[in-house]
Amino acid sequence: MSSPLLTVSTSPHRLGRTTIRSMHLEFMLALAPALLTGFYYFGLPGLSVVLLATASALLTEIVTVRVTSLPNRVADLHAVLLGLLLGLILPAGVPWWIPVVGGVLTIVLGKMVFGGLGNYPMNPVLVAWVALSLSWPEHMNAYFAPVPLGSGGEFAVTETPLMALKNDIGSLEIYELWDLWVGNAPGAVGATGSLALIAGGLYLIIRRLIPWQIPVGALLGCVLMSLVAAYTDSRLLEMGMEGLAANLKVAWFHLATGGLMITAFFLAPEPVSSPVTPWGALLFGLGVGGMTVIVRTWGAWVDGAFYAVLLLNTLTPILDRIRPKVIGKVIGGAV
Amino acid sequence: MSIATWFKGVRLPRGAAFGPPTPLPPPQRIYLPLRQHRGAVCQAKVEPGQQVGMGQVLGSSDEFDSAAVLSPVSGTVEAIRNCADPAGQPVPTIVIANDGQDIWASPEGEVRPPLSDPAEVAKARPTRLLRRIREAGLVRAASQGLPLHVDLSPPMAPRSYLFMTGIPVVRPTDTLVIRALDHDPPVCPNQAALAGLNLTELDLGVTALKRISGAARVILALPAGAVSGELTALARLREWEIRTQSQTHFPYCLDNLLVLGITGREVPTPYGEPRDVGVVVEPLVTALEVGRVLISAKPNLERVFAVAGDVAKPQAFVARLGTPIAEAIKAAGGAVGEAGKIIVGGPMMGFAHFDAQTPITKETEGVFVQAAEHVRRYDDHPCIHCGRCVACCPVNLVPAELSKLCEFQRFEEAAEADLFHCIECGVCAYVCPARRPMVHYFRHGKSEVLARRMEQ
Repeated sequence: MSSPLLTVSTSPHRLGRTTIRSMHLEFMLALAPALLTGFYYFGLPGLSVVLLATASALLTEIVTVRVTSLPNRVADLHAVLLGLLLGLILPAGVPWWIPVVGGVLTIVLGKMVFGGLGNYPMNPVLVAWVALSLSWPEHMNAYFAPVPLGSGGEFAVTETPLMALKNDIGSLEIYELWDLWVGNAPGAVGATGSLALIAGGLYLIIRRLIPWQIPVGALLGCVLMSLVAAYTDSRLLEMGMEGLAANLKVAWFHLATGGLMITAFFLAPEPVSSPVTPWGALLFGLGVGGMTVIVRTWGAWVDGAFYAVLLLNTLTPILDRIRPKVIGKVIGGAV
Repeated sequence: MSIATWFKGVRLPRGAAFGPPTPLPPPQRIYLPLRQHRGAVCQAKVEPGQQVGMGQVLGSSDEFDSAAVLSPVSGTVEAIRNCADPAGQPVPTIVIANDGQDIWASPEGEVRPPLSDPAEVAKARPTRLLRRIREAGLVRAASQGLPLHVDLSPPMAPRSYLFMTGIPVVRPTDTLVIRALDHDPPVCPNQAALAGLNLTELDLGVTALKRISGAARVILALPAGAVSGELTALARLREWEIRTQSQTHFPYCLDNLLVLGITGREVPTPYGEPRDVGVVVEPLVTALEVGRVLISAKPNLERVFAVAGDVAKPQAFVARLGTPIAEAIKAAGGAVGEAGKIIVGGPMMGFAHFDAQTPITKETEGVFVQAAEHVRRYDDHPCIHCGRCVACCPVNLVPAELSKLCEFQRFEEAAEADLFHCIECGVCAYVCPARRPMVHYFRHGKSEVLARRMEQ
């Protein structure tokens, strides 16, 4: 029996089109609206922060791969994605070396010490963000007030809506909700454009690149915990805000400000460090959303979204144990 | 189909529609493995050099779970030697040189009269019909299929893993599902059989299957958009139910999941079968073969199968059993491009074979040819924990975790995490962005666990 030389392997013999590289490209595509919003409101300073962080992360990855014996997987663009995400959660007013150091920390401290993509326990971007925040708090609070492109204004450091809320609950009345949703508010480069982030996040959910449970859980957890915070806050009563509609205003404020949207759609569902089981992912999301508001309301920090993700990342292995019922598994049956 | 189901699995590209099967001329030389199903191997009843006629018994066994191997051509037995069967395992194989005469062997024993009246079949004794099926050597037309007479009989004894309450129960068969769906497109033998549907054979075959299995309810599971008026009329006359389903939604045309979708009954895995929950699922091809066997009173010597993939003219054929795959590929216009894979079965669950001379057997549903440029490579990239496999797994496993456990040789832990409930459909590997060989890990893990348990 003679025949041509044939390839033999296990099934399936046909594979889907999604690769790690294409997945990361789609993540970047989903981030594009947020980046454009950031560029529109924070101009060249904002863009340069993002570009510096991205370039730094990419270069660090290339160097790390050369120095260590880790396999060279620079082409999967993971470093670019991480650098991009880091740049988007930095304030526009930071000195040039902050994103550079951040990029190095993301790759070395967040990703490579654990063995690269697939092995790190926590979101590398947030590891770097925390390291920067703890080391240089004065720079990391250099948030610019938005200056729409072409309006010719000067960039000036100002306080963010969340800082204002922390100081005085009355600032709820100051901000126009619509401005907060479109991103016309002081904040990090890519984290203010909530609508842009939602658009990108929906794309990721539709393409099934992130489980829907995490963003939905995060937003739901944020709304629920905001209501708890609002109902237990006597200062709101003094301001004359009473009833569900008024308390929901607090929830909308929390949803639209700070890092919640980029967290819900991009940082929390980061594949490696988030749970994969349906109920685990939902609980993870609820935990992120709830913890965000807890820190914002009662904690020492201004924004809790990023800390919430890091905290919940440590719970991922436990949350992954909440498995769905296996079809075909007879209760009490032997293997 | 529930909403959760709709989001699970994958949508495969739709292959070209198949016309009725084309007859393939009998080849010069045919190869007949002495086991063409799950079960016992037959004993050879002929010697090398012996003259055989069509329908002559070449191999049979006293075991219940075996189907006789009958000669599909007349000619001379050239050799009996070990050859790889479609699953790659060595099986004693009878090689026959075809003399092209197609002379029927004188029937051994009594001659069975043809049965062609559905009313008569509906009243016939089930054992009588079952004996005919057994004599015709019919096997369920599916990979790892059981001999048909075994598949139609209720389990001989209740199985230990089903003692949910501690009381052994055998559930009587009450539903017969005729599956005109193909689980692994574009290899679609049932679609081809549906295109050239012989309603007389179908009527008789389904009536006989219903009579033998004792099912009160008959359900025809058809691909969406393939319901013809004549078929509907026949179904209404015989009180068969018709259900339609998308064929490209993989793997929901697999028997266990089909039974769950149609009847809501959960087939126990890993060793359970639909008949454990009172359902018999037969492919349309098999139902038609039963009808043909009863009408003609002759054994079944042919098989409808599909040749798809990188061939010039993907189509369905009806060929003698034992025809080498290479002949079928040649008849389909030959393979296109550089030789890559020859897959017995479909691209998702088929077996990549190393030998193009492997014969078409009673289990064969089709052949998928893949050119070298379409052969996809797996990678040993670490799992990136993206969770796409979890979202798609049709049986709700956590494939990511299982693959990691099997990769790092923690097989018992994998077994604890329900490794054995995996149906090896390959959806997780299909969607994996890291291109991990998921099914390979699972099979490896299963075999390791079984080997260790055998040692103990």
